[in-house]
Amino acid sequence: MMPRRAQGDLAERLLRGPVLWSGLAALSAFALGPFIWMLLTSLKNREELYATPLQYLPAHPTLENYVEAWTSPVTPFSRFFFNSLWVCSVTMVATTAVSVLSGYAIARFRFAGRDALLLIFLATQMFPSVLLIAPLLTQWRALGLIDTYQALIYSNFSFTVPFTVWMMVGYFSSIPRDLEESAMIDGCNHFGALCRVVLPLAAPGIAATAIFAFVVSWSELLFAISFTTETDMRTLSAGLLYMVGQYEVQWGPLSAGVIMSTVPVAILFVFLQRHLIHGLTAGAVKG
Amino acid sequence: MTAVVALGDRRPRPLISLRVRQLMVGYSYLLPAALCMLATVVVPIALAIKMSLYNDILYKPQDYRFIGLGNYMRLAEDPVFWLSLWNSFVWVFGSVGLQFVAGFAAALLLHQAFRGRAVVRTLTLLPWIIPGVVVGLIWEWLYQPNYGVINDLLMKAGLLHDRIAWLSSPDLAMAAVVFTNVWRGIPFFAIMLLAGLQAIPGELYEAAHVDGAGVLARFRHITLPLLRPIIVVATATRIIWTFNYADLIFVMTSGGPANATQITSTYTLLQAYSNLDFGYAAALSVVLLIVMLAFTAAYLRLTRGVEEVG
Amino acid sequence: MHERWLLSRRKFLHTLVGSGVIAAADLAWWEAPLISPRKAWGAEPVRFQFSVPEPTRITLVTSLVQRFNQSQKDYEVKVEFVPQAQARQKLISAVTAGSPPDVCQIWDNWVGQFQAMGAVEDLTSRAKAWRHHEDVQDTAWQTVTVGNQIVSLPLALTLDAIFYRTDRLKALGLKAPTPDWTWDDFLAIAKAFTKPEANQYGYGMRGAGTWAVLYPSEFAYANGAQVLKDGKLAINSKEAVEALAWYLDLALKHKVVPPSAPTDGFVEIVETFGRGVTSMYQHNSGSVGQQKKNVGAANFATVPLPIGPAKKRATFYFSETLTAFKASRNKEGGWQFMSFMLDDEPCLMYGKTLGLLPPRKSILSKPEFADDPALSGFVESFPFAIVSPYLVHPGWGGRIDSDGVPLIQQAIVGKISAQQCLDRFADVLKKEMT
Repeated sequence: MMPRRAQGDLAERLLRGPVLWSGLAALSAFALGPFIWMLLTSLKNREELYATPLQYLPAHPTLENYVEAWTSPVTPFSRFFFNSLWVCSVTMVATTAVSVLSGYAIARFRFAGRDALLLIFLATQMFPSVLLIAPLLTQWRALGLIDTYQALIYSNFSFTVPFTVWMMVGYFSSIPRDLEESAMIDGCNHFGALCRVVLPLAAPGIAATAIFAFVVSWSELLFAISFTTETDMRTLSAGLLYMVGQYEVQWGPLSAGVIMSTVPVAILFVFLQRHLIHGLTAGAVKG
Repeated sequence: MTAVVALGDRRPRPLISLRVRQLMVGYSYLLPAALCMLATVVVPIALAIKMSLYNDILYKPQDYRFIGLGNYMRLAEDPVFWLSLWNSFVWVFGSVGLQFVAGFAAALLLHQAFRGRAVVRTLTLLPWIIPGVVVGLIWEWLYQPNYGVINDLLMKAGLLHDRIAWLSSPDLAMAAVVFTNVWRGIPFFAIMLLAGLQAIPGELYEAAHVDGAGVLARFRHITLPLLRPIIVVATATRIIWTFNYADLIFVMTSGGPANATQITSTYTLLQAYSNLDFGYAAALSVVLLIVMLAFTAAYLRLTRGVEEVG
Repeated sequence: MHERWLLSRRKFLHTLVGSGVIAAADLAWWEAPLISPRKAWGAEPVRFQFSVPEPTRITLVTSLVQRFNQSQKDYEVKVEFVPQAQARQKLISAVTAGSPPDVCQIWDNWVGQFQAMGAVEDLTSRAKAWRHHEDVQDTAWQTVTVGNQIVSLPLALTLDAIFYRTDRLKALGLKAPTPDWTWDDFLAIAKAFTKPEANQYGYGMRGAGTWAVLYPSEFAYANGAQVLKDGKLAINSKEAVEALAWYLDLALKHKVVPPSAPTDGFVEIVETFGRGVTSMYQHNSGSVGQQKKNVGAANFATVPLPIGPAKKRATFYFSETLTAFKASRNKEGGWQFMSFMLDDEPCLMYGKTLGLLPPRKSILSKPEFADDPALSGFVESFPFAIVSPYLVHPGWGGRIDSDGVPLIQQAIVGKISAQQCLDRFADVLKKEMT
């Protein structure tokens, strides 16, 4: 459903026209700037990288950085890629499922300790994760989960679930109760009302939460390094750090790796952002 | 369709009352999340609290003993701690404030219908997906006074005559790292607020427009109130996240120059892994935890938290 | 309303089926094959943690490990590469969790702390019975001896010298510094190199990281100062303050250092020299390889630190070590691997590939090291090199990072004087003297 072009006041026309386009341009340039620099860097060979004065466009663009990063046996980016993709996908699916349930319960049911519980969820994030490493390491080692995907996935839950629960509470709270109540009058139980009525309305929120869970676990670094020892089990974030040497940063392969690591998330987002649209709420307000 | 209950029918008393059943349903929904939290976070936090009550310096194991609040008293007299607390507030509120404003503006922009919307939305997301450590490395490179892009472009544009050492000057360093954090954090607000904006039914705007409300009035009376729960959630979670976010500063300045960008969480890292003083580091974390709890409780009370809308 | 429910129900079912498929696939893959094969009963692999996983080193270490594994059947070494910034954290967590690696490559300034934690395995008896024991330099043994115990094997050695641009010197018509050059010569050359409008500076001063404190300390020795005199702290003696003031004047008065100095760490000083922004810098031999690629082997050389007003000088040794831990499970295998790494060929390869100096005298005298002009500054520094005095007290290492570096940074930007800086640092160090 498209918002009708209002034959509106000057303010509206201004907002729709020049403000919109200049705003979008500024936004894109700001977000994209460093990436463009990274892209240019990844296409340069070593001499051009170290040239002074600063050289922007590569005179002899080369794909050697990408090839080296992807195929090098010492830094197998293909393997890192797969590991990250797997761990983050599972984290995303599981986190979303858990937080949809919990968020709905907290948003809808009144029960003792509700506010305290919310605060506790948040409080678990107020602690620096570095200090959690040693106890977690002991746990995982005792369970034999070092160098497995499970350790990474479970550890990811520790920082995705609290935030996603909170977010779902927020999104569910902005959906009026009347809708479920009418559904329940018509004979559904709570779970049915949740599925049939609330979930479709909350789809943008769920999509946003899923994206959040994926993205934060994609960029997670500390647990990935602490709970894995084999190079083959490292994730992309850890793999990028292999380019940071003792006395220099290998900008060529590093920027190639950065560009490569943004591709799957961008693709995922293109799919998920389709749910960030109007339409599912149309006509739902009044009965 | 619906069962009609005739008045006067005797209904058998259910074994478990409706109220309790509702409660159980509620709790069962919460169980998976609670279990996750318990295993991965709650237990280690309890251990850390215990650790803060001991004199726990790893390379002096013979001195390991219970000292009660000794670490906390040392903390109260530590000038670097107070400086780091101040820096933390600057860091958090500077970053989140700017991220929120810019992210909200971005969400409003991306909410409009225009061609290529999917592409622009995807572009906006990009700063968020690189690991913080790598973002720090990249921006450190950009800020480099001698061969960094920022100084180079500014000088080429004639806006700058002398090279500015962004990260090496005690006055500019904090602003520089905040700017990087803002760059990184805008996508979060943009996406969250965009999702919230999408859930607002279009008819409300149309009805208001018919009633003669201008753009600003519609924004103030429809958009903001309906978005309140999400704004509160997004800002609260982001504030907490940023308090603990040490990666960027650690990589870019290591808390320098001369503690100008030392925030409490980087100071904790320094104490833990350079000085191996885990007791003191645990005490620092506990204090930060209390500060954040107090702040969050106050913040939620003030904004009426996530109470339902309408 | 009913139709809308039907629609949303169908949509919901689609999503459910979709996620069900994913979930089913998840479950099937839950037991994804672990990369490490199930260990055979009794054959515990030797876990080796290596802390600088850049591609050159990864290739080198992997090939050395393979060589070892193929050369004998008793032990299998599995190497884990940990990015350098996280290596210390990971090791500390592993040690406190009771599961350290069997062998770890760490720097000598960490060894004291781990030793004081009681975590390190005492190698004295093994080392003394080792066939190459006499061939290793005394100073190398000193870097790994705490109390009277040898706690690690030194893998590679290095010390600090000055790198300088030979091509730029020639262009300026100046003569190359001799190994006996003085502070005045140093200052003159730095000034000649400095052209702010061309973005060129004489000396890449280091303001971040442990060595931001150690470099000026080395200069202080050239003025006759010492860190410890007869066991007493002398870091803020008159000579030390004078030396530090001279050093700070490079930044404050003569302005021969780039504006980024206060936060420049090792990556930055190497990169600014590599890009031609600085024409001299102080560092160990580890960056020789990079500079050969960045600047060109013909365009730079190294020379020992300049002689100071007291007609003395000193440079600090430090070593990369191989260390074993008390809680390691496979100590015999770990030892076999460590001694293999110091055999003739591996030792030569390690040093040559990375530009580090081998701790064994017979290998150091080989032409690869003795005849390389880029390494001459280091080799010529051996006679006056000492073990870093900061290794004496285990508590000092952390204090340098947490207190010393901020103090030096404040001094470099001119907020505090040399006297104040050293006095405050002395207070901090005194508290950690056992």
